[in-house]
Amino acid sequence: MSTVDWKNYTPVLLPDIKDLHKIDVYIKNGGYKALKSVLTDKKSWDGPKAVIEEVKSANIRGRGGAGFNAGLKWSFMPPADGGPRYLACNGDESEPGTFKDRKIFEYNPHVFIEGALIAAYAMEITTIYVYIRGEYKTYIDMVENAIADAYNKGYIGKNIFGSDFSVDFYVHSGAGAYICGEETSMLESLEGKRGYPRVKPPFPAQKGLWGRPTTINNVETLSHVTGVINNGAEWFSGIGAKTHPGPVLYGISGHVNNPGVYELPSGIPVLDLIEIAGGMRNGKKLKAVIPGGSSTPILRADQLDGITMDSDSLRTVGSMLGTAGMVVMDEDTDIVDVLWRISHFYHHESCGQCTPCREGTGWLEKILLKIKNGDGEVRDLDLLLDVTTQMEGRTICALADAAAWPVRFTINRFRDEFEARCKKKSHAVA
Amino acid sequence: MPEIFIDGHRYEFEGDHKVLQFIQDLGKEVPFFCYHPSMTAPANCRQCMVKAGQYMKDRETGEYEVDENGERVIRWFPKLQTSCNLMAADGMVILTQETDELVQRAQKDNLELILINHPLDCPICDQAGECPLQIQTYKYGPEGSRFEVKKVHKPKRIQLGPRVVLDAERCINCTRCTRFTQEISKTDQLTITSRGDKNYPTTAPGREFDDPYSLNTVDICPVGALTSADFRFKARVWEMNQTPSIDITNGKGTNIDLWTRDNLILRVTPRFNAEVNDHWMPDAGREAYKIFNENRISRPQQKLDGEQILSSWNNAIATLSEEIAATDNSKIVVIASPHASVEENYALSKYTNLLGLNQPVFTPHIEEGTGDDFLLSDDVAPNANGCRLLGFTELDKASIKKEIKKAELVVILHDNLIDREVIAADDLKEKFVVVFATNNSDTSKAADLVIPITTAAEHAASYVNVDGRIQRTYRAKETKYTERRLDLEMSEGRLDRYGTNFDNWVTEDNKIDCLPVWKFINRISEHSGLECNFNDGREIMDEIASTLDSFTGVSYAAMDEQAGIQLSIKKETSTSK
Repeated sequence: MSTVDWKNYTPVLLPDIKDLHKIDVYIKNGGYKALKSVLTDKKSWDGPKAVIEEVKSANIRGRGGAGFNAGLKWSFMPPADGGPRYLACNGDESEPGTFKDRKIFEYNPHVFIEGALIAAYAMEITTIYVYIRGEYKTYIDMVENAIADAYNKGYIGKNIFGSDFSVDFYVHSGAGAYICGEETSMLESLEGKRGYPRVKPPFPAQKGLWGRPTTINNVETLSHVTGVINNGAEWFSGIGAKTHPGPVLYGISGHVNNPGVYELPSGIPVLDLIEIAGGMRNGKKLKAVIPGGSSTPILRADQLDGITMDSDSLRTVGSMLGTAGMVVMDEDTDIVDVLWRISHFYHHESCGQCTPCREGTGWLEKILLKIKNGDGEVRDLDLLLDVTTQMEGRTICALADAAAWPVRFTINRFRDEFEARCKKKSHAVA
Repeated sequence: MPEIFIDGHRYEFEGDHKVLQFIQDLGKEVPFFCYHPSMTAPANCRQCMVKAGQYMKDRETGEYEVDENGERVIRWFPKLQTSCNLMAADGMVILTQETDELVQRAQKDNLELILINHPLDCPICDQAGECPLQIQTYKYGPEGSRFEVKKVHKPKRIQLGPRVVLDAERCINCTRCTRFTQEISKTDQLTITSRGDKNYPTTAPGREFDDPYSLNTVDICPVGALTSADFRFKARVWEMNQTPSIDITNGKGTNIDLWTRDNLILRVTPRFNAEVNDHWMPDAGREAYKIFNENRISRPQQKLDGEQILSSWNNAIATLSEEIAATDNSKIVVIASPHASVEENYALSKYTNLLGLNQPVFTPHIEEGTGDDFLLSDDVAPNANGCRLLGFTELDKASIKKEIKKAELVVILHDNLIDREVIAADDLKEKFVVVFATNNSDTSKAADLVIPITTAAEHAASYVNVDGRIQRTYRAKETKYTERRLDLEMSEGRLDRYGTNFDNWVTEDNKIDCLPVWKFINRISEHSGLECNFNDGREIMDEIASTLDSFTGVSYAAMDEQAGIQLSIKKETSTSK
């Protein structure tokens, strides 16, 4: 059982402070201390490498879904050669069930900006872009205001805190495509092109934006950097699950009484998290949980005993932490409908570059629609599973996998419900 | 030397190689759609999947590691790889569909997916017969489809530009066409619009796809999504025969194929030549098929009482001989042509030499503004350099006019001097004018005697392009005096091979009553007791190569083997005034 002490946890990304989005309030509460410290306190921070080492040992695992050690990713950047280098912050969060970054943009944009600036310093980066989905118009304005404030204070721009570190910070608005959250197609989109994922290698650290070294981090990941610098790597890695430490923004939606974003340590039991979010709505029974955004495999209520919100624990029951955007479903939920809706999303959002994804996502949705309407047959379920194997691992980016997994795991875990929806056909036996 | 193991065979390689291209160069096959050797590899069709791995090497000794059974240890890539963007590496192991079931399965699965939204209207599709999707489906595809729901419907019969028509439903989104406009023609006129299975290539709203190289996208389209507005629905591919040739509408000498059915040239497509035009050709040259079919001169024509009437070969020969005999040598001007081949020009000059006339003169055909920095030059004649290398006197327009003024007998070889405003019709008044011509023109109409000659599609002859490369054509089309079945060098389509001359689709009218220039020279020299005996272009070229230093080493065999031969030309003559 998990021993995570979440009851005594004090939030750091979304603390209960009024008007924290205002730069003066943020500074009064210790804001931009971390940035000043890495730039000016040569005793504690012996150059950019020391910052990377600290972040690496904190083991911030990427909060965008892949869960890769952020510090390790930073260390992949080649040595600076005097040319431009980029940090691209991914704020496109478009995965259904995920809405955590927007809370940062809304309530505490400066913790993210400060984290991004520290990351830029650590990797000797010259320009920062933050890519925010177009639907977040309000939050795009808020982040732009926050960046303008930071420019005015001299925290962004030339020779920050009198050091020789200079950096520019731009907001780039997306146009509402899920695929632009994929890191390489986000780069294409930033370059003003059609958001097609790139073939890797070359990896962005070698050839990213405009062919220059680029690191891509999730907004929440970068926000944690500020805390790591302020409180040390040990503080961070001491919070929550051992292998996936630190605070996590849990976005809880669905049939709970108090849906919303909760900042808590990682590794909280899934069932506790539902209680934290006010318990099941109308006292209904829990049926299923999608733990980390729509592409993570769904879990039945009976699979959840003792399972905690970290990648290792979720892997034991065949799912993933993803973005920690948890969707809770009660006993009245129509699973067939849920799966069709998820497939509809991926069909709509496939960029159309690779054959298996372009054609497969549409095929999945059409078969599911047929089953949902009661016209399906049991053999269609096996066809669905077949199509998912035709898609998985055969495309440039992971969207095909993200579309195939829900179908495969939902059918495997709720097969009786799908069969019940299919036509009862008596086949002649030859 | 680095080594790579493909399907259990060991191959050595040097330099950078994409695995797909490497396999192709070995003469083996991996199916693909989006890859094109002259463009970037986006790896989006996902058809060229192979299983790839690496023999493990001991870091210290550099030797391959072996397991307890003495087998080399292979570390396989976790997923199947697209061979189009996989770079060959030392010790790499590749399994293609020939040896690996998983690869076979993946390729079959991929074809099933490509086909689910493809209309499968092959019976009415122009691409059928030369369609990579059709061919690869037969070879590697599933036996049927399990797709039982509704296909996606997209725009059809969209006129993208003056020459290209789009059927978006047939499109498999390989992006070859959009990459062509980005990387090759650099007009950026095409892009993919919409998303997922609804996407298709198109222009920006309100814009036309009028790229001067637009028809290349039709050639590289692996399905029938982009078709030529001109060629659409004209002929099935398997009914035509394909003959290599040279574009004679421009000095660049683009290598082309002529597509013939029933002795009509129906379309022109580019033919690969790394030294000249790569895989591409300008749209302008494709229109040229018409000059082989339409407005042709058939049978010699002679002016009687100011009007041209049909004559006979015997009459024409007699008339010309008499005129030459009756005219003082200094009053005869022979105008050779940059539009005629090396062989035609040479045959004519040999005859004039035997008569003791001056060396022929010629004027290059320059149209300012035609050229670009790709496959078009301002010199729109295919053989100006050939005339120069034969040692003919190059004159500008004014000097040609002066020469003609002095003469009483003017012989013009295949050059529409009036149409291209070198001279006016009035300049030829009061003179006896002989024109060797393929098509009716103002120049041929002004002639007292018109000798119909073969076009580049009817004779095998060579042309020297603006860069000094000599390349040759093949006979694609029969004349009244040639017979496809007796000519080993002529290609035969299905209808040619299995049909007879009495089939109802054979049109005798499509065969023109004309002779190669050298055949006519044979006959007229025989008539006047001179000795000229040219059998065909091949022999003439051998004679030229043995007598003229500038053509040393040139022969049809050598040209065929090396796809043309680079001759040394003076630099300033290559870009004429």
